[in-house]
Amino acid sequence: MSHDKMILKHPLSVRMFHYFLILSFLPLAVTGVLLYFKPLSDAAMHLTMQIHAAAGVALTIACASFFFLAYDRVVLFIKRVFSVSLADLKWFAVLGGYPQKLILRKKVPVPPMGKYNSGQKLFGIFVLIGGSLLILSGWILWGFPHAMPRGFVSLMGDVHLIAGIVLTLFLCVHLFLGVYMFDDFKAMILHGKIPYEEAREMSSLWVRKEVIPISENKC
Amino acid sequence: MSEHKYQYTENPFAVTRREFITITGVITAFLALPAIWIKSVASSNNAYIQARTQGLYVDDVKSTIRVSHANIAVNRYYKEFGGEPLGHLSHKLLHTHYINRTKGLG
Repeated sequence: MSHDKMILKHPLSVRMFHYFLILSFLPLAVTGVLLYFKPLSDAAMHLTMQIHAAAGVALTIACASFFFLAYDRVVLFIKRVFSVSLADLKWFAVLGGYPQKLILRKKVPVPPMGKYNSGQKLFGIFVLIGGSLLILSGWILWGFPHAMPRGFVSLMGDVHLIAGIVLTLFLCVHLFLGVYMFDDFKAMILHGKIPYEEAREMSSLWVRKEVIPISENKC
Repeated sequence: MSEHKYQYTENPFAVTRREFITITGVITAFLALPAIWIKSVASSNNAYIQARTQGLYVDDVKSTIRVSHANIAVNRYYKEFGGEPLGHLSHKLLHTHYINRTKGLG
């Protein structure tokens, strides 16, 4: 029965990386907001800064490990998020049909998408570039501010702040839509698998062009 | 297929060799260029520090009095007024206290 067919959407390496991102980026976002608004006492702000730095080191290790241990996934991710076509414009014109579905309970035609829809691609590009900028500027601000000219350190501070705000805002949307698309949420958090029929509806191009029966993948 | 509990997977050859090499080249460039830029920025900072150090050495060479205890005015102060270095009167007059003014900065 086609209803029971499953596709492995997120392999173990990707899920592991995602767990480490949850463990490191969520504390970074929360402590980053606290560091910006400074609502706590001096001692509490000092502790917040220490947690922010420790989580930053954890994020760096997670990203570097994934980069070296699962380089093929990195290449695949970059290829997918930077593959832009006219369908992406059409997708953004109807915002993937989500507002209509959420607010009006109406289904509108949405262009066929690959593994990631256009919104996820945009998020992926921001995560890739913004995350790299955050890690780079964070290390300069925390580890080597004395080794750099004052103007450059100040520029890195601005870059860190802007990239942090943008990614934190994106994170809020990502968390909401992540839970809304519950099968995909379960796939990323638990077992990596997604029902074939749902994937065919949400990511028809991916299923048609990139997904193969497991029997064909045996060497 | 019960051992896998899934029947479909991604084609491992979804990226062609040409795409793999192109993307690797772009990644290498995006890693190398900031590294070179930051190295040159750090070097320029060192150039400022070295110029400043050189200037201080030149000042030292030009100076006739290089240490505070050889300063004629300081010596005269202790001799005619302050008594001895770290004495009671000098401590009272010269010692400063820390006042945290950062809270007033807003």
